[in-house]
Amino acid sequence: MNAPSFLFYFFEIIAAGAAGALLFVRNVFYGALLVIAVLLALAGLYILAFAEFVAVTQILVYAGGILVVIIFGIMLTTRLGGKPLVIEHTRSISATLVGLAFFGTLVYLLSREPFEAHPAKAAASTPLDTTQTLGVLLMSDYVLPFETAGILLLMALIGAAVIASERKSKKV
Amino acid sequence: MNVPVHHFLYLGAFLFSAGLVVVISKRNTIMVLLGLELMLNASNLNLVAFNRLHPGNLQGQMFAIFVIVVAVCEAAVGLAIVLRIYQEYQTSVPDDVNELNL
Amino acid sequence: MDAIHTYSFFFRFCLVAALAFPLLSFALSFYISEKYSWITSVLASFLLLLGTLASAVVLYQAWNHSPFTYQREWFSLAGYSFSAGLHINNISALMLFIVTGVSFLVHLYSVGYMAGDAGIQRYFAMLGFFTFAMQGIVVSGNLLMTFVFWELVGFSSYMLIGHWHEIPAAAEASKRAFIINRVGDAGFLVGLMIVWAHGHSFDIAALQQLPVDPTWMTLASLGIFCGIVGKSAQFPLFTWLPDAMVGPTPVSALIHAATMVAAGVFLLARVHFLFTVPSLHVVAVVGCITALLGAVSALAQHDIKKILAYSTLSQLGLMVVALGAGSPQAALLHLFTHAFFKACLFLAAGAVIHTLHQAQHQSHVHFDVQDIRNLGGLQKKLPFTFLIFVISGSALAGLPFTSGFLSKDAILTALVQWKGEGFSWKLLILAAVALVSFLTVVYTFRMIWKIFKGTETATARLYVSEPPAVMRAPMAVLAGVSLWIWFSWNPFDFSGWMYVNIGEAKPFHSGIVSIASAVWVILALGVAYFTRQVAFGSSWLLNAFYFDRFLKQFVEKPILQLAALTHHADKKWIDGFLHATAYAQLVVAHLTGWFDRAIVDGLVDGVAGAARGLGSFTRSFQGGKIQLYIFWATFGIIIFIIWTLL
Repeated sequence: MNAPSFLFYFFEIIAAGAAGALLFVRNVFYGALLVIAVLLALAGLYILAFAEFVAVTQILVYAGGILVVIIFGIMLTTRLGGKPLVIEHTRSISATLVGLAFFGTLVYLLSREPFEAHPAKAAASTPLDTTQTLGVLLMSDYVLPFETAGILLLMALIGAAVIASERKSKKV
Repeated sequence: MNVPVHHFLYLGAFLFSAGLVVVISKRNTIMVLLGLELMLNASNLNLVAFNRLHPGNLQGQMFAIFVIVVAVCEAAVGLAIVLRIYQEYQTSVPDDVNELNL
Repeated sequence: MDAIHTYSFFFRFCLVAALAFPLLSFALSFYISEKYSWITSVLASFLLLLGTLASAVVLYQAWNHSPFTYQREWFSLAGYSFSAGLHINNISALMLFIVTGVSFLVHLYSVGYMAGDAGIQRYFAMLGFFTFAMQGIVVSGNLLMTFVFWELVGFSSYMLIGHWHEIPAAAEASKRAFIINRVGDAGFLVGLMIVWAHGHSFDIAALQQLPVDPTWMTLASLGIFCGIVGKSAQFPLFTWLPDAMVGPTPVSALIHAATMVAAGVFLLARVHFLFTVPSLHVVAVVGCITALLGAVSALAQHDIKKILAYSTLSQLGLMVVALGAGSPQAALLHLFTHAFFKACLFLAAGAVIHTLHQAQHQSHVHFDVQDIRNLGGLQKKLPFTFLIFVISGSALAGLPFTSGFLSKDAILTALVQWKGEGFSWKLLILAAVALVSFLTVVYTFRMIWKIFKGTETATARLYVSEPPAVMRAPMAVLAGVSLWIWFSWNPFDFSGWMYVNIGEAKPFHSGIVSIASAVWVILALGVAYFTRQVAFGSSWLLNAFYFDRFLKQFVEKPILQLAALTHHADKKWIDGFLHATAYAQLVVAHLTGWFDRAIVDGLVDGVAGAARGLGSFTRSFQGGKIQLYIFWATFGIIIFIIWTLL
């Protein structure tokens, strides 16, 4: 086993373990930390899959942005007194059954398919600098989705601010 | 690295299932959001893994980036809603908010 | 007799009228107000007079002609038609006349006898009804119809015996007469059923053509004879007749001397052809026992009416013996003569009782006026009654120049003819009958002696006067017909116009029998005179050999025990069974109730519950719980994936 393979399984085990632990954890803050672990492990896997840009985006946006926002949310919804937010589980059995069934179905379906690399494309050379290629693509082929995503972000920003803001005067 | 693509996919399946279980069973809206992130990441992992089967093509990665962007929006708006609900109902348990019940 | 006689409309009218007048009397008696109840008695007597006239016309027109028959369907049952019919021949025409005539005389007598009685309307109503029923028996040409009237007669007899029902003895006696008659009637009914089973007809004329099956005929005739035994007070069902004497005396005269008890003999003569030789022997023996028993018991009685009752028993026994000896003619002759003189005797006894009662009423002296030991020497005070008593008593005793001599002679002659040559048990019967006729003389004249001769004892201080004319007239008429002249011109030859015409048998007359009979009777008269003071005080005789008690001991008791047993069985087994059935039904009802509740209702409730469960189940999808929605959505997706992709 060479180093990349080792790293791959290392990251996979971390991601799977953190996700599995997330199922049992009852402290929301720990849950958030476990999710960060999963996200970082996935970033590592992206790199191993030749997707450096996606990996960086993952780390920046997810781990650095979304999770921080979520931790803020945790802090805001915790009652005063600094007590950790401990939660209960509901419908554990049905949730487990559905999860297992879904997982089993997916694994079975995936294992049926060979998913071989396209022979014709496999011969084509992989661009060494995917970041540059992606940038060019974003500014050329995917410019419309790119701009749309920008508008979406703006709308989400404004929307989030509007929703979360206090409107005591309107309360009846 | 000659790791079969299936190993990516199995992990994605596991993460998705785990996210699903978290979404269903946790009595906290923030945890539900975390489960959702987990599921989005599982799909992202799949996109990246499939992109690996088509080396001259970056559509999968491109999709993953857009998914991340949308996830950001979703997280922002979702958290805003969670906070708003907390303000309105003084609870973060989704089952307590059952005004959809007829 | 001519071959076919066509009867005029007038005849039919008179026949219907003869029956209708007593019935009318019965009906009218209820419509006259209580206040004018004396009208009832007069009206009833008048109606009966009309009925007597009508029956006289019937007798005159039907005499010695071919029988008048009238028949029509009464009802049909199970494909068989039951007819009702009239059959008038010499016998029934004569009987009709006698019944109506005696009834009229008794009505007339009752006007005096029952005057002032509270229940006079009921009395005359039942008297009319009885007459009608009795006439029904006489004219009926059909055994079923006869049976119906037979029962009606029994009923009216019951009503009349119990006329003074406030006296316990009367109520008891009426009940008793009715029940004992019922026993006989049960046998009668069985006999009728056998006859029906064999002939499919109750018509007497039709039955005469019936092929004879000896065994069944014997049984049938014995069954019918049972009814006759009950009605004519033969051994062993005779005990009701002496008890029935508690009824008014005219009733005793009419019912228990002249008509009802004679109905049995009449019926026996009418269905004589049904009787086989063995059953005739039974008839003869029963009659003989009754005759002896009655005669011996009459000797010891103290009560006037009881003496007469036992004498009636004895005379009826003689008639039955004659029938058993195969001579209905002799029996009927005796029946007719007996009807007159015995009714006359009863009326005379009634006159004595009535006048003494009234005298008692005035002087407030009380003793039993019916007890001959309290009587005596009444000849001076009641000369007319004494005369009547003597004439009718002579007829009963069978002295020459009376009707009784003729008919007794006929019976004896028939028996002599019947016993045939040589020695047999029939000779015993003959001897017994001779003894009975001897005893008859003795008890009759003892009674007359005790009442009218000797010295007055209890009655000495009473002012006794003859009964009123309305009572004397019937007695005189009846005493008149107790003479021989009405039955045969020759006082020593019974085969006069009546005897010859009431049967087909050739008259057989033996002068020796007549002479022997006359001598015998006069001998008896002498004995009676010399034994007049001797009291036959045996309690056995007084109580008719305690036959009553015997019945009570050996018939009533076992029957009561059997009744108790069957009652117990009924209570325990049949009721138990019924209760068990009821209980089982209850259980089944509970089971079905449970089934209904649990299964049927359960099914309905179950459907409802299932719907509700399904509803709440499906409602749970709409629980407003987001996570649950997600769960179900995922569940659906899994199903979808498995369904489509696997």
